[in-house]
Amino acid sequence: MLARNAIANLVEVDDVHFSRGERKIFSGLDMQIPRGQVTAVLGPSGAGKTTLLNLITGQLTPDKGAVLFDGRVVCPCSHDRLYAIRRQMGVLFQQGALLTHLSVFGNVAFPLREHTKLPEELIRQIVLMKLHAVGLRTAWKLMPSQLSGGMVRRVALARALVMDPKLIIYDEPFAGLDPISMGVIVRLIRQTNDTLGITSIVVTHDVEETGRLADWSILLAGGKVAASGTPDELRRAKSDLVRQFMLGSSDGPVPFHRPGPSYAEQLLSMAHA
Amino acid sequence: MNLTIRDCLHGFRGFAATFGSFQLFSIRLLPYIPRIFARPLLITEQLYTIGALSLVLIMFGGLFVGMVLVLQSFTTLAEFGSTDSVGAFASQALVRELGPVVAALLFAGRAGSSVASEVGLMRATDQIAAMELMAVDPMERIIAPRVIAGVISVPLLAAIFSAMGIFGGYLVATQVLGVDTGAFWGHINVRVELGQDVVNGFMKSVVFGISASLMAVFEGYHAQPTAAGISNAATRTVVITSVWILLLDFIMTGLTMAKV
Repeated sequence: MLARNAIANLVEVDDVHFSRGERKIFSGLDMQIPRGQVTAVLGPSGAGKTTLLNLITGQLTPDKGAVLFDGRVVCPCSHDRLYAIRRQMGVLFQQGALLTHLSVFGNVAFPLREHTKLPEELIRQIVLMKLHAVGLRTAWKLMPSQLSGGMVRRVALARALVMDPKLIIYDEPFAGLDPISMGVIVRLIRQTNDTLGITSIVVTHDVEETGRLADWSILLAGGKVAASGTPDELRRAKSDLVRQFMLGSSDGPVPFHRPGPSYAEQLLSMAHA
Repeated sequence: MNLTIRDCLHGFRGFAATFGSFQLFSIRLLPYIPRIFARPLLITEQLYTIGALSLVLIMFGGLFVGMVLVLQSFTTLAEFGSTDSVGAFASQALVRELGPVVAALLFAGRAGSSVASEVGLMRATDQIAAMELMAVDPMERIIAPRVIAGVISVPLLAAIFSAMGIFGGYLVATQVLGVDTGAFWGHINVRVELGQDVVNGFMKSVVFGISASLMAVFEGYHAQPTAAGISNAATRTVVITSVWILLLDFIMTGLTMAKV
């Protein structure tokens, strides 16, 4: 059964518990990321989306349970094994995280130069091919400080793709982008996923873009998966929490006011104090 | 009163935690040191950035310290009629003490703070996390080359500092104070010993280089990912390294004197 799941799902999160100090982030989280599809991980701020990303990439170790990548436990494992797993992943950070002392070309070539002994001529061809795929072949000479926010993310995508990973994780790829750049990123995520046959996880809270992009959506809330399905299924869900999130309502199961004593009680207690 | 004792305990606990963390960091770095010699280009880049770019400051520093040293000591030596020894006096002071100590202090101010800020900024802008996720170990790629370059640079910079100091002293002694050139160099030749002065000075500068480089990368690597955090890391690097260098200098000088 586990072997069959490992074939169907590239990533499996199995009964994961994780806390930060006293605060419980996940209590028995179970989820599967199907192979070859674009999966959106949605959730309100503080739902643990970035923590989940860190658990999948082995930056954090679960208190209990396991995260499996391609059938192998991600953490805890040895440094060498973790790095061998990470070589099959690409991560696109929210702000790109380009190495500021290297040019666009140097950034995309960086993983190749670190992990392979390919001749410089071949590296040049691979890098230009990846930059061409994201539409920035002619920007190869520029430094990161000369790029716009959208361009930084496209270069970071080229860098994430350069080692031909099995999985690409996008952390809030649409945050702070103009509509054109957003359209470009949506197109690139879909295109790279389909043409290269990789698996993509998009961590976001952008419901609208998720509808255009994702094959499968997972909504995190309260340390568990609150709902999962296609974006259309999520939109039609009856759950109040899912409806509040999908419609962007300010009040509901996630209240507008921070929980605590009533306004009157607080005023009275402050008057007595 | 209670509050003061509690504050002291809290401060001591913080110091112990940081010191322990520094030691663990240094031990964690050890296996990367031999490996990084297989990539000399990374070390060369850092030798240029933190070593060569500190050269002007070190040369000017050495020149003026040597000049002042000769000016200050000349009056005292004149009272004993030994103005010809002014070169030997200044050279010994420079080679044994001032060269290694002042060069290391200037290095901490110029290169140490720059390394701490650079590494801290890399941490704040997720560049270090990105490297880790690309399966590139930042301890090997970022930290080890900077430490090695620092350890190589400081003794070289200390030697240049001392040489410039002696040259500055020579200019003042012979051109301003009228000391004979032959007497100036002759006394240096007789009094400055290879083992006692030069080797001890060299050993000191190696130890200072290790301390300054390790402290800079440690502070940068553990900087809070905010503007204030990076600024604090740079400041702490300069302050802690300076105190550490002066303390180590006292201990090492004490040990050398005990041997004599």
